[in-house]
Amino acid sequence: MGLTSLQRRIVLVFVGLLVLVMGLVLTLVRESSARIVGSEGSNGLVVGAKVFQRLLDQNQRQLETAASVLSADFAFREAIATQDQPTMRSVIRNHGQRIHAQVMMVADTDGALIASSQRETAAGAAFPFPDLLLEAESSGRSAGFRQMRNGQLYQVVLVPIMAPRRIAWVAMAFRVDDGWARDMAEVTGLAVHVVRFGARGPVLLASSFDARQRAALSLGGLPAAGRQALLEAGDETWRTMRLPLDGAMQAVLQLPVSTVEAPFSQLLQRLLWVVGIAILVFALGSITLARRIVKPLEELSEAAHRIAQGDYGQALPALPQDEIGRLATSFAHMRDGIASREERIVRLAYVDGLTDLPNRTRFLETFARLPAGASRAVAVLNIDRFAMINNALGYQVGDRLLREVGERISTLERAPLMVARLWGDHFAFLLEIETEDCARGFAGAVLQQLHDPITLDGQRLDIGGSIGIALYPQDGLDAGTLLRRAELALAAAKRRRSGLAFAHEAGAEPAPEQLSLIGDMRAAMANGAHGGEFMLAYQPKLDLKSGRVNAAEALLRWRRPGSGMVPPGSFIPFAEQTGFIREITPWVLDAAIRQLAQWQAQGLDIAVSANLSTLDLLDPELPRRVKALLEFHRVPPARLCLEITESALMDEPALALSHLNALAALGVKLSIDDYGVGQASLAYLKSLPVNELKLDRSFITAIADSPRNAAIVKSTIMLSHALGLSVVAEGIETAEELDWLRANGCDVGQGYRISKPIMAAELADWLACNDAIRSE
Amino acid sequence: MFLRASLPALLAVLGLPLASGAAGAILDARVATPAGKPVPDAVVVLEPLAGTGPAAKNRPHAVIEQRGAEFSPWVTVVQAGTAVDFPNNDTVRHHVYSFSQPKRFEIKLYAGKPGQPITFDKPGEVAIGCNIHDWMEAYVLVVESPYFGKTGPDGQVRIANLPAGRYRLQLWHPLQKAQAAAGEIELAAAPAKLNLVLDARAREPRPHTAADQDSY
Repeated sequence: MGLTSLQRRIVLVFVGLLVLVMGLVLTLVRESSARIVGSEGSNGLVVGAKVFQRLLDQNQRQLETAASVLSADFAFREAIATQDQPTMRSVIRNHGQRIHAQVMMVADTDGALIASSQRETAAGAAFPFPDLLLEAESSGRSAGFRQMRNGQLYQVVLVPIMAPRRIAWVAMAFRVDDGWARDMAEVTGLAVHVVRFGARGPVLLASSFDARQRAALSLGGLPAAGRQALLEAGDETWRTMRLPLDGAMQAVLQLPVSTVEAPFSQLLQRLLWVVGIAILVFALGSITLARRIVKPLEELSEAAHRIAQGDYGQALPALPQDEIGRLATSFAHMRDGIASREERIVRLAYVDGLTDLPNRTRFLETFARLPAGASRAVAVLNIDRFAMINNALGYQVGDRLLREVGERISTLERAPLMVARLWGDHFAFLLEIETEDCARGFAGAVLQQLHDPITLDGQRLDIGGSIGIALYPQDGLDAGTLLRRAELALAAAKRRRSGLAFAHEAGAEPAPEQLSLIGDMRAAMANGAHGGEFMLAYQPKLDLKSGRVNAAEALLRWRRPGSGMVPPGSFIPFAEQTGFIREITPWVLDAAIRQLAQWQAQGLDIAVSANLSTLDLLDPELPRRVKALLEFHRVPPARLCLEITESALMDEPALALSHLNALAALGVKLSIDDYGVGQASLAYLKSLPVNELKLDRSFITAIADSPRNAAIVKSTIMLSHALGLSVVAEGIETAEELDWLRANGCDVGQGYRISKPIMAAELADWLACNDAIRSE
Repeated sequence: MFLRASLPALLAVLGLPLASGAAGAILDARVATPAGKPVPDAVVVLEPLAGTGPAAKNRPHAVIEQRGAEFSPWVTVVQAGTAVDFPNNDTVRHHVYSFSQPKRFEIKLYAGKPGQPITFDKPGEVAIGCNIHDWMEAYVLVVESPYFGKTGPDGQVRIANLPAGRYRLQLWHPLQKAQAAAGEIELAAAPAKLNLVLDARAREPRPHTAADQDSY
């Protein structure tokens, strides 16, 4: 069982505290019991000694009584009175047996031995214990412990024989031996020894000890009378004291300490058991408790981990409604909150708000998740003339139109893998097809869907669409490339008005060449003006009212060493996609403004337009840089016009607007390029500091197609004028277009009909020639 | 010891009035302890020495009765050959005995007057006891001479009807500490007075057993 650290801490605190408390208790009990053992032992010994003393007195009284009764026996007295030795000896032996006296002696009143149970002839010898006789003379009887000649210790009782006056003394001796000591020991509960303390040191006369204990008994360290001492004997400790018996005879009493200790050590042992079991129970209990606390936490932690990995569906562990349970409940609420917010975020991130279709990001991610080998294609659909519908009918109508289109293309019979709205009126399809024919069939089905007119607010709208298709893997390996190629194909389809174009038809270079392109562009930039690889061509802009050319658009040209002129469509979109455009634009601006200054010095009254890409517009350095260049070359700001596409504005409208405002504040003119391709409304453009609108070339080519297109262009020109914008028409290729535009109030024209882009050096000549033509 | 020291002096004093007379002499003796305390129950025996007339043979009858679990009298002096009766006046029986050399006898558990008196025929001390009442004791001094007397509670004794002549005076008491030496005395018709000294313990009444003391 692995203990987590919290669990371990809980268990350690619980068990540690218990061990501490129990240790204190045990110490206390141990010390108290040691103290009690000491005092109990002392008391026990004193009490035992009292019992011993009392027993001794009682014994003596009993012996005395027995002796008195014996001495009063008539027959005994009668026999003693005979003074006949054999008679007397046999009677004292006989009567001695009656009271279990081992030795009997009879002495006359003068202290001479008359008869003895031990000796055949005793008459005339002196009684061996005259001191006892002396004592008995005064008090009637006496008793004492005496050692006989055989070395044996006896308790001797001396009583008179009365008939009725004292006629003799009778002494009765009772053996005091190990048996006696054991009897005394049994009653007193002490070890009993009788020791004679003579001149030659203590001699043990009787003892309750067995031979082994006796061997270990040392009489040397006995305590003084009345004192107690602890003596070691064998494997036992004895509390020892002395008690005077008779003269040099002393009783040594010993209490085994173990008998006093036994209940306490038993108590201590039981207590140890209890403590041990308690600690065990506590440990188990605290482990269980800690588990109860920690397990839900671990489950919650596990759940949190799963939530962190995005799994919101799993059920949270069911927990009791305690603090942790409430935590789990709050946790579940938090998870639900996160889930719903994430859903919203995902929706915001991946779903187009207008049409509810997946957006570009989602499209790219879905593409990336497809298995590498699977065949697929990307198609981009664009609604023809959407900007003009938007402008003419209002953006609300435009939005509803986009929604309607979205619905139609997402309910196709042969549903694609995904339909997404990229931006504006650009929709994308992710197709699971590999051949061009299949793609062609699909595109036909899509266009068929759009063929039916759409009725909005009772107004019938005829719409059409163009589709560009890029195939995987021929046209690109990633979604970005494929989308770009499809967009290029779409542009080609629009240009050719074929409704459908494939990427390979749009003339894009194969990928390896594109890769070498950026290296070459870098090299060209590094060479700069000296290298002369990059150069600016200027396409004159004709003022249709005055017929004068007073402006030109600067267009980037690249003469690539070894391969000649590179078409702008082949490297500029690529530079924009790779971000390299941010290195090119400053060069372009510098070159254009330098040229302006040059022309100004030559006395040419001409303005120059330069193109800004999306990335340029979002560059915060842009206004400052433009200002610095203008000041450096001393060119009036009004001579410079910057052209921005609609899509550039749409990516980051707020930032773009702030930069536009800064540029406008410099006095630089601003122009919306390729107007009509995107969905920007004129009302929106009006809020921008823009001076000029450049109609996309597709409008100009469409003028002649239908009167309806012509009407849209005409109304756009009128609306622009109403908003204070001048209108520039690009891509004028025929005299009819030029005439129509002039007739319908278009301000400026630009196109091959007027002039193709020419080098700066040629422009002065061209102007002079043009003036000559005009003046003719 | 005291007697031995004092007797010659006494005899010198008594010498003068001593005169032979047919009526018989009288001896008044007073026995006291060396401290001067009168000694009751002390026995004075006079033995006629040579020259003195033959002793009158009277064989009086003596009685030692038992009353209240005591012998009465405590001390008795008899001439050898005297028969002594031991009448029992108690309700309990007595077992009278003596282990003394001059007279051993035993009267086993009897009531009333035993059939035969005990004849003390040899001179000497006889200690008498009761086997079932240890405290009971009596003493009989058996003498050859018919002339003897026992002091009363005041320590006084009178011995009368003594023929004049020389006597050996013997003093005895059951609780004497030592046997007094005999002295000689010349008696005439006139009464003689003697102060005698004998170191003897006073009789201490020995306690009866509790049951006997109960009066029921």
